[in-house]
Amino acid sequence: MKTKNSGKDFCMFALPGMFCFLAVVIIPFLYGVYLTFTDWNGVSDTKNFIGLKNFAGVISDKQFWSSLLLTFRYVIVVVILVNVLAFAIAYLLTRGIKGQNFFRAGFFTPNLIGGIVLGYIWQFVFSRVFVNIGETTGFSLFEISWLSEPNRAFAALILVSVWQLSGYMILIYVAGFMGLSEDVMEAASIDGASGFAKLKNIVLPLMMSSITICLFLTLSRAFMVYDLNLSLTSGGPYGTTEMAAMHVYEKAFTSRQFGVGQAEALILFIVVACISGLQVYLTKKQEVEA
Amino acid sequence: MKQTTVGGNKRKAANILAMAGLIILFAAYMFPFIMVVINSLKQKRDIIKSPFSWLYTIKGLSFDNFVKAFTQMDFLNAFKNSLIVTVSATVLVTLLAAMLAYYIVRHNNTISKTTFALMVASMIIPFQAIMIPLVSIYGGTLNILNHRATLVFMHTGFSMAMSVFMFHGFIKGNVPIALEEAACIDGCTHARTFFQIVLPLLKPIISTMVILNSLAFWNDFLLPSLVLTDKKLLTLPLSTYSFYGTYSADYGTIMAGLLLCVLPILILYIVLQKQIIGGVVAGAVK
Amino acid sequence: MKKKVAAKVIAAALTMALAAGTLTGCTFGFASDPDDPNEVKKEVEIDTSTDTFQYDSSLEGTSITLLNSKAEIQVALEKMSAVFEEKSGVHVEVMPVTDGDSPYTKVVSLYNSGNPPTLSILDTTDVIALAEEKAEDLTQEAWTAEAEGYLTKVDGKVYSFPLCIEGRGLIYNKAVIEEALGETFDPASIRTQEDFTALLDRLAAAGIERPVSMAKEDWSLGAHQLQYIYETYDGTSEGAQEIIEQIKSGRLDLASYDRMNEFLNMFDILKEYNVAKGDPLGADYDEMAIDLADGKTAFWFNGNWAWPNLEEAGAETTDEYGFLPYFMNNDEEDFANRMIQGSPSKQIMLDGQIASEQEKAAAKEFLNWIVYSEIGQQMLVKSCSLIPPFKNNPYEPEDPLSRDIYEHVQSGTAFNASAIVPNDHWSVLGAAMQKYLAGRCSREELMQAIEEYWAQQD
Repeated sequence: MKTKNSGKDFCMFALPGMFCFLAVVIIPFLYGVYLTFTDWNGVSDTKNFIGLKNFAGVISDKQFWSSLLLTFRYVIVVVILVNVLAFAIAYLLTRGIKGQNFFRAGFFTPNLIGGIVLGYIWQFVFSRVFVNIGETTGFSLFEISWLSEPNRAFAALILVSVWQLSGYMILIYVAGFMGLSEDVMEAASIDGASGFAKLKNIVLPLMMSSITICLFLTLSRAFMVYDLNLSLTSGGPYGTTEMAAMHVYEKAFTSRQFGVGQAEALILFIVVACISGLQVYLTKKQEVEA
Repeated sequence: MKQTTVGGNKRKAANILAMAGLIILFAAYMFPFIMVVINSLKQKRDIIKSPFSWLYTIKGLSFDNFVKAFTQMDFLNAFKNSLIVTVSATVLVTLLAAMLAYYIVRHNNTISKTTFALMVASMIIPFQAIMIPLVSIYGGTLNILNHRATLVFMHTGFSMAMSVFMFHGFIKGNVPIALEEAACIDGCTHARTFFQIVLPLLKPIISTMVILNSLAFWNDFLLPSLVLTDKKLLTLPLSTYSFYGTYSADYGTIMAGLLLCVLPILILYIVLQKQIIGGVVAGAVK
Repeated sequence: MKKKVAAKVIAAALTMALAAGTLTGCTFGFASDPDDPNEVKKEVEIDTSTDTFQYDSSLEGTSITLLNSKAEIQVALEKMSAVFEEKSGVHVEVMPVTDGDSPYTKVVSLYNSGNPPTLSILDTTDVIALAEEKAEDLTQEAWTAEAEGYLTKVDGKVYSFPLCIEGRGLIYNKAVIEEALGETFDPASIRTQEDFTALLDRLAAAGIERPVSMAKEDWSLGAHQLQYIYETYDGTSEGAQEIIEQIKSGRLDLASYDRMNEFLNMFDILKEYNVAKGDPLGADYDEMAIDLADGKTAFWFNGNWAWPNLEEAGAETTDEYGFLPYFMNNDEEDFANRMIQGSPSKQIMLDGQIASEQEKAAAKEFLNWIVYSEIGQQMLVKSCSLIPPFKNNPYEPEDPLSRDIYEHVQSGTAFNASAIVPNDHWSVLGAAMQKYLAGRCSREELMQAIEEYWAQQD
């Protein structure tokens, strides 16, 4: 739409949204960046400029780097599982299966429970239900609570994350499938394309914009995992499942090193920005080709 | 949407298999929610000792938790606050984000590109990193905390990026420019084009965003807890604070409180579900 | 049309679920059952007939805020503030800190918002962190004389009001021990680690195979257990500070420090008799209270704040629960084997920066009211169920755990030592203790972790 009055367009369509966004997110963020160069502890009245000292503190914080590495491992697994699962379920739920509305409501429920209740219920599942099954069946996988052994606690965290995030992504994939025109799907059926070929050659390319969104969302959410980390394992057993976001928070408020915590948050942000930037760039390219 | 019946037994077998898989997954997804429903009717001791026992084996099963949650939360007042905040913020963000996304898609200029890149990047800012600066600016400098309007404004700002992102993807993929060009020839203004032609096409994504955003606003805890301290203004999640102790949590009441909080959202979801099924887009494209 | 049918099915299912719920709810909820856990607890009676407290009428109409980080007394505090307002005309708005927010984080964010609470209930480490810059100097207040020995001083000045005394040790369930052994149990007869181990063995022989519960939570392991190594240095806060300085500076080798080894000996005993020995990190806090009340275990390492949990688990205020010391060795004369740790925990800080003189005066009146008025004294003990650190308060706590600590304090068999450690001590060293509890590291590795932690502090 090339028009003369694009200034008016801008004011009407873009400005209000941009204003909210800049005022609430960007300005406080920049102020936060500024704070990483000061010795401010969160409460005092004085802020002294101390240059890069906080960043030196980040480099010497071994815990931070190991939590970041752990976060990488977690993100890779979660992103793949969530998207495959959500895509498959959304696909099934838009094919006109009997009672699909009911199903959709059900798959949505993980989104309804948050905070301490979610952590509690799953803790219960891992420490009691599974242990109970282990005791009665002698199945060694379930002999002790998953949350008391580092590798299994990590697996538990992944399992619950997949459960929770995919509930959200199903919704977006469903919207994507609904947006596909029916002609496409029908044409594909009449062509006699087999299920898999149809998926690969026709559905997948058309769903690329939904995939971009979902990949990006899972990526950023998985990197930022905090609530679930806190309520399910709280970093345990003995600090082995502490992810980056949780470490940052602990650094700033439990260890009271506000500046270092803020600097770590900034580094985390840059890392995630690079990775998801790359992902968006790559998947967007697919969209254009399609 | 009609059932595809082309194909023979093989198709049928695949369908049955898919159905079975779906049911198993469905049970796994529903499970925690059902646990909440069952345990909200029990006393704490029974919740801890026998969370899986069926309802009839527990004595003292009752709606007491709901009654307690209802009164302790000052439910009606908190409900009113939550409703005002959620509805205003949802309407505001949906409208503003749709317009902004539309602008970005249709104007391929520097502002569009920068804004979009900035928004995408901002979605990965950890909230903890802006929490303290945010209250310093809005509380310390501007002194406008403790108003519902401030919370609405902040909710709108925080969810703007993701909403724009979603609308952007949808508009790009599903709103053909040909329709607008036709409207242009007919002499429609941009505003009319947007509201009469584009907006109706966005219905599926609007429904999705309304659900996602309203759910996020309705259940959000951290941001409201920073903005609102006045008891009269507390939203539903904030009002359940007293069920959590330092060393012990009142699980029965927490679960009852949780159900009271999510019930409205559940109803909204079921209502909007119908909207999505209306298949507006399919109709418009044809 | 299929869609409509589906929607109807959902609606019908929901309605039925609700209806079914209502029915079952009625059937069971109203059944009159002697064990019905739903019966309403009686309100604590507060006698408001006598009130000799002098209220300052010039403060009427003042409104102050109180940030409460002790969620379990929220309701009681609200009642207190209502009574106080009725009497004095000063409105005290009680603001809660919610789960997931640490009190420190909340105060930080409130100071940033330019709207800090007039009074805040905080942990001792928080007060020390904030005192000099934000808090009002309370050294001249009259109540400091009543709380002698329980005051926290920063550079010789008092910046906080000690709200309560909390004590910890091995909680025992007397009835369970007596029933298992078939004889009366006198807690005073257990004086050493050996006595304690012998008792555990007898209980094991009598059928309570593993009679101890210990929490896996990092705050329990890192703060409540590990801190014994500082607090039992000589049983004073000054001594605790001294030993911390020694560890910090590297002058003390932990392996040669008696209290460290003694502590681990006791910890190993608890570990050995732990009901969750097979999977100590899988233990559930709430279940421990139930196990102790039901007699599946006889001991639980915890503090008097565990009473609400025990009460929910079915314990009555008339039941006999109490504390055994954390036995460090076999010397009957060692104070650590005779005394229970009990020290002030939550502190109230008065904002000295933003609050007006009028607000400060009203806040001070509220604090004085808690210490000196008949009503305030009663409500602190009865409504909030706290152990008052003020000598002039004549009321005794009602629940058995607080009463036991109270009696120890009164009879001089409690030692008041609080180690002032950095705020992340419990989380960092709690993790190290978890590792030791799970048998994933040796004593040497644990001590090394503790030394490393202290070496990093400046």
